[in-house]
Amino acid sequence: MRLLIVEDDAPLASGLQRILEAEGHAVDVTARGEEAVLAASQEKFDLVILDIGLPQMDGFEVLRRLRAGPGGGGPMPVLVLTARDAVDDRVRGLDLGADDYMVKPFAMPELTARVRALLRRSQAHGGPRIAHGPLQLDTVARRAFLRNEPLELAAREWAVLEVLLARVEKIVSKEAIIQAVAGWGDELSPNAIEVYVSRLRSKLEPAGIKIRTVRGFGYMLEEYK
Amino acid sequence: MAGRSLRAHLLRMLLPPIAAALALGALVSYFPTTEPATHAYDQALVDIGLALGSHVRVMQTEYRFELPAAVEQVLRTDRFDSIYYRVMSPAGMEIAGDPGLPAPPGDAVAHDAQYNGAKVRVVSVQSPCGRSTCTVLVGETMVKRERLARELLLQSIFPELFIAIATLLIVWFGVKRGLRPLARLSDEIKSRSAGDLRPIDAAGAPEETQPLVSALNGLLTEVSAASRNQQRFLADAAHQLRTPLAGLRAHAELALAQPLPEASRAQVEQVHQATIRTARLANQLLALARAEPGARSTTSLVDLKSLAEGEADAWVHQALARDADLGFELAHAPVDGDAFLLREALANLVHNALEYSPRGARITVRTGRRHEGSAAPDSARQGGSAFLEVEDDGPGIPAAERARVLERFYRVPGTPGTGSGLGLAIVREIAASHGATLAINEGMGARGCRVAITFPHG
Repeated sequence: MRLLIVEDDAPLASGLQRILEAEGHAVDVTARGEEAVLAASQEKFDLVILDIGLPQMDGFEVLRRLRAGPGGGGPMPVLVLTARDAVDDRVRGLDLGADDYMVKPFAMPELTARVRALLRRSQAHGGPRIAHGPLQLDTVARRAFLRNEPLELAAREWAVLEVLLARVEKIVSKEAIIQAVAGWGDELSPNAIEVYVSRLRSKLEPAGIKIRTVRGFGYMLEEYK
Repeated sequence: MAGRSLRAHLLRMLLPPIAAALALGALVSYFPTTEPATHAYDQALVDIGLALGSHVRVMQTEYRFELPAAVEQVLRTDRFDSIYYRVMSPAGMEIAGDPGLPAPPGDAVAHDAQYNGAKVRVVSVQSPCGRSTCTVLVGETMVKRERLARELLLQSIFPELFIAIATLLIVWFGVKRGLRPLARLSDEIKSRSAGDLRPIDAAGAPEETQPLVSALNGLLTEVSAASRNQQRFLADAAHQLRTPLAGLRAHAELALAQPLPEASRAQVEQVHQATIRTARLANQLLALARAEPGARSTTSLVDLKSLAEGEADAWVHQALARDADLGFELAHAPVDGDAFLLREALANLVHNALEYSPRGARITVRTGRRHEGSAAPDSARQGGSAFLEVEDDGPGIPAAERARVLERFYRVPGTPGTGSGLGLAIVREIAASHGATLAINEGMGARGCRVAITFPHG
């Protein structure tokens, strides 16, 4: 994948570049917002990592111009980095079309996990197939495969799995799962969700796909290793 | 309120002059009234003297005084006083009466003197006898006069005493009433939270207190400006630290991802840990600056449940890295507060639980509302105070250390790990800035540690 890093702190920029290159991405770096806007207008990037605190044209303005460009920058996800934690900044960034938000300093594994999640989401966007390790979902045909073998999933199991797959490595509350699945008609209790998750577990765990329970909160589909 | 009472001070100031004015007033009104009375009584004595003088007979070279006993009886009889007289010839020879009754000195017509061991008023009357004049002295004890004087004095003193007492009462209650605007002012200042540096509303204050109010407002403005500057500086400094720390951390993690000689790996790991601690410290300083009284905090309605939910993801990942079982029991807990600070307080509590509990620890984050004295959440009822608490089954904090761990930079001796000792101090400051109470107890089954922040009801 082709990534653009917009960060004026040279050591951080080079560190990010090397880590993401080690992940197998092609990474361009610029320290100036104007250059980032220009580069994004001429070339196609799969993801932009954008620092808010840039000299002259700040990150908000870069974000605004990226989203105002042809096609709103397309599906290109933008991960915003900031040294400030004011809630307003966060809201403003997300309002302007940022896809995710990280406060400095962050752990590199967290950054790479988020980059992976954003790329997966943007690639899946429009694509009918979702992959997670040995698991593949064909969302159009509504068919699931595990190690290339067809996998039988009840409608609600499918719905729960879809919610978890959309947020790998993020905890998803039971309420969020219920809301996502509730379109199916009658009311769902948290207990019912537990039943579906336990069925999914018995089907997926033999293939090394783990759904972790977060006590009193919800579930997290762990990254496949 | 300690210190001098303005009322007592005013009374102390007013009492001597009022007493002096009272005494002076009594004197001033006393003498003008006693003067005519004295004069009238003297006149009565003169009349007696004239009557007595008419009884002197001149016999060749001898003067004789012939007073019928019945007349003398009448003259000498008085309801209150004893009456004395003394008749003397022109040459000053004793003719009749009470010898030794003192004559007024010189040309004086009347005087006060001492006779028979009592005070007497003596008048001297010149009475014609033959071709010459005899002197008749008439004296009278002072009972009537003193009684009159007493009555006059009392008559004049009563109204003045009444006026004086009324004045004192008016001062006593008037001062209290008059000082009511000041009391209102002090109530307004007292009811403020420590961080409230808004100017005092001068509209309701009386004219005399305007200089005080504007001086106070001037001070408040300066203090809040200074405090804002300090907050801004601290916040900027903490924020500025974050970018270089992010770079440092990135490179440390990059280095650790590469094959390294064992000795170098340990050192890079140290650098990595130090970076993480420094970043945390920067965050804590920022929180401390913002929790400081007078800090400009952005208060809004915050649901502690949503706050915990928002951070749950990050905490769960930290817990997974430490093999801890982090769970949640979250019920709605709306409070008026600073979201950043409350998040930092919760983060510090969770961080402590993770940091100081052994691997595999069970940690629970709770929010909700409950009634005082009840340990169980009270979600069924609407009332109760909002709370947040973090419980772990780690080593706990010995009861003797619980007060001290709230001090800045204090760490329980023998504690593993490399904390700054700021975490709980920050939590305490944040709790205090929200008017909330912080309690450290054992966890369930007298194990581990449960730290709870309970917010004021309402």
